[in-house]
Amino acid sequence: MVQVVLPELDRGTLTDSDGRYHLEGLPLDSVLVEFRFIGFEPVSRRVRIAQGENELHAVLSETTYGLREAVVSAESQADVMLTRSTRSVAVLDTRELEDMRGQTLGGMLAELPGVTSLTTGPSISKPVIRGLHSQRIVVVNAGVQQEGQQWGGEHAPEIDPFSAGRIEVIRGAAGVEYGVGAIGGVVRIEPEELPFGGPISGSVSINAFSNNRHGALSAAVGRGQGANWAWRLQGSARKAGDSRTPDHVIGNSGFQETDVAGTLGWHRGQSGFRLHASHFGTTLGLFTGAHIGNFDDLMRAIERGQPAVDFDFTFDIDAPKQEIRHDLVSLSAHTGLPSGDWLEVQTGFQSNRRAEFDAHRRFGDPDEDPAFSLDLRSWSADARVRQRPRGNITGNVGATVTTQGNKNGESGFLIPNFRSTTVSGFIHEMWVTDKLTLDTGLRYDYRWQRAFPKENLSSGPFVPRTTTYSDVSAVLGVIWRPLPHWSIASNVGRAWRPPGINELYNFGVHHGTAQFETGNPDLREERSLNVDATVRHVSERLTLELSAYRNAMDGFIFLFPENEPRVTIRGTFPAFRYVQRDVVLRGLDGFVDAKLIGRLRGHASTSIVRGSETDTNLDLIDMPADRIRAGLEWAFRDRPWLDGAAIHADVESVARQDHFPEGVDFAPPPDGYTLVHIGSSGTWTRGSVPITFSLDINNVFDVAYRDYLSRFRYFIDDPGRNVSVRVHIPFGPGNNSKRTHETH
Amino acid sequence: MKHIDTLKFVLPLLFIALLAGCDSTDPDPEGVGEEELITRLVVTMTANGQSVSYEANDPDGDGTGLQIDPMTLQSGTIYTGSIAVFDDVNGEDVGAEIAEEDDEHQFFFVPGGGAAARLSVVATDQDENGLPVGLTFQLTVADGGSGTASLQVILSHFDDAPKDGVNRSDETDIDVTFPVTIQ
Repeated sequence: MVQVVLPELDRGTLTDSDGRYHLEGLPLDSVLVEFRFIGFEPVSRRVRIAQGENELHAVLSETTYGLREAVVSAESQADVMLTRSTRSVAVLDTRELEDMRGQTLGGMLAELPGVTSLTTGPSISKPVIRGLHSQRIVVVNAGVQQEGQQWGGEHAPEIDPFSAGRIEVIRGAAGVEYGVGAIGGVVRIEPEELPFGGPISGSVSINAFSNNRHGALSAAVGRGQGANWAWRLQGSARKAGDSRTPDHVIGNSGFQETDVAGTLGWHRGQSGFRLHASHFGTTLGLFTGAHIGNFDDLMRAIERGQPAVDFDFTFDIDAPKQEIRHDLVSLSAHTGLPSGDWLEVQTGFQSNRRAEFDAHRRFGDPDEDPAFSLDLRSWSADARVRQRPRGNITGNVGATVTTQGNKNGESGFLIPNFRSTTVSGFIHEMWVTDKLTLDTGLRYDYRWQRAFPKENLSSGPFVPRTTTYSDVSAVLGVIWRPLPHWSIASNVGRAWRPPGINELYNFGVHHGTAQFETGNPDLREERSLNVDATVRHVSERLTLELSAYRNAMDGFIFLFPENEPRVTIRGTFPAFRYVQRDVVLRGLDGFVDAKLIGRLRGHASTSIVRGSETDTNLDLIDMPADRIRAGLEWAFRDRPWLDGAAIHADVESVARQDHFPEGVDFAPPPDGYTLVHIGSSGTWTRGSVPITFSLDINNVFDVAYRDYLSRFRYFIDDPGRNVSVRVHIPFGPGNNSKRTHETH
Repeated sequence: MKHIDTLKFVLPLLFIALLAGCDSTDPDPEGVGEEELITRLVVTMTANGQSVSYEANDPDGDGTGLQIDPMTLQSGTIYTGSIAVFDDVNGEDVGAEIAEEDDEHQFFFVPGGGAAARLSVVATDQDENGLPVGLTFQLTVADGGSGTASLQVILSHFDDAPKDGVNRSDETDIDVTFPVTIQ
């Protein structure tokens, strides 16, 4: 069942179980043939097809760096997409990432169907997958589960978007593979492959954005050393000033970021290891106009509908602000076993330090002394055996252990100190034939947790509270290919997560929303049963993917308003408490990309989600509004010096969110909006250097709008028109990246 | 065997990482979780040589149990008032800090209830720009016999919004309403 793919012709087939394959009607030309199978290094051969029978033999060897999941790296081929996963998976490959470089990670992901973003101003953006975010999403960076501070909507993932060579989003529960928290979905960020055996190569990217005078620079360099070693270094830096709405400067919304990463790899025969280290550092300004004292202040700000002060543009970042540092060191190793299976072990250490600075401080300088700081350290180890294919069956078995501790700094605290240890064991098997794939798995996770909240949450001495949580995750999935160009995938997945520390022990006012939030120490596990079905079609003229899902959650944890407001010396605050209810999320997402006439292509994508409580049918708050995006792309004829040049225009239309609980929010959902984006891109080859460039104008007509999931929507519009320029210059051989047209 | 070599390499690193991961997170008894609070507001009213203090007291900051003393005022009297503010959790005199940064603060006094029209308050102190602060003030209770009213005391902090002496800011540090009985 090796995949045989002819990427240039958009054709492919699978071998039978003896490894034989057959393709007819090939052009009498030079053809690139790729052979792929999970767990094996793909092999590419270029052959000249002659009249009559042609034979091409290939022997695949085990991958140098372990096995990938049931996904292989090149995505342009029909077979790969059609049989990608029993789950609904979306991928941003290197080329698509290039077109979005410089955006926040959340902003990049929001271009995928089913994914939206929860923003706190221009600098903070969190991915929302099918209506779920934060502790209901797992983020995997370079193979290691990201352990950051995800306590609030204003805590964005601590990852350098430039470091990604490929991003994959799994929509829906994936508890078996990713453990606790993979209820809403998974974001996997994969660095570029190490250049084993290659000479020195690399690239430089430069991005500039007009709206906030944001400049970003990224550079990467790597090479193979001898037969067995390879390394890569990558660094990026960015600086942005205040963003602008069509009418106002969003005061203190600038940010800056400096990131470095390095990877060293060794392989020989069936063994190898990879050592990866990265540092992420950012300072984010928070819009000063959203810093309010009490509920009365909030109501006056909402009524005014615009900032009380006219801010001037600046690059300076003052308090309120966040300073975040995230360091990761991971080591993974794999080796072949005498049985023909592979053993993989991986360990990762992460340190996440977050300091948040309040607008004013009595005991010190607001810009120097944080209102609170948190230091989260996590260590994880993971061992798995990837089975060699036996007949039609392949899979993996493994165990992981993660331990973490979180400590507060000297002043203030958002969440109490805690430490936790999670142990898990799983088995995941696939049965693969050319028409049908079945996939099933089980996982068990156990978490021990000790936190040190104040005795009655609000006051008293710190007391230890120890809790344990455990449950089973499971998956059953199928891919069926009734016709060569069509596949139907369906998946039932069960996942769970323990309540978050903030949900258990929070106590205090949330600045910006003037909500008084109280934790609930009695919360138990939150469970999800997700069913989804995906139809995929890939042919020369048309690519289509449409998914429908239903995610039933037992004990969904969310903030619910209390009857009595909380009266304090600072004024009155509406009171909210974490509760657990049964809820159901349902939705549709998908995209279509079609060749219209000649060089004109059209594409469209949509995301629709509904969430409500099962018993009362009350709508859930903060569900993304319905959205559709449609556009046209005109590809120019390739020239010797210009490749893949294209212009495109897109319309993005977001409806008003009409499904929300009455009497919970402080302002009605904002009106729907329609934005127009245009852009052009291409690769200009100068000498032997292919320079990729793009010019985009987002929100061409400078429309003033507020998204329902913008946390600043009470105070100010979202940013207006933004002109961006991107240039990507590779160097070294092997970077002759011909931009083949791809669907997405 | 190649994989034995690899394991030899990996195991010590796993061990080191394990040590690094097992860090204690017990809170320090001192210094952790120190928050800036305002727990007590004291309004002192003086007339005819007699002083009475009224407190709004929230001993654990934002916790439960805000106690507000009712005020009893005499009809047809002019009071001299002053305000003191404390953080009893951390033992701080917040009033002194407000006095130091008086150009960034202002107290507003909002009468309410049935006899609201009979109460009027004027700040008697000024910051360096000549704008009122309200740490000291004069309260006039107009004639008219007994009645009930309320007095809302608001402390606005001016960080970005300029202080103009008239308008409140969106950053309220104190907002307390005292019930008032006029005798």
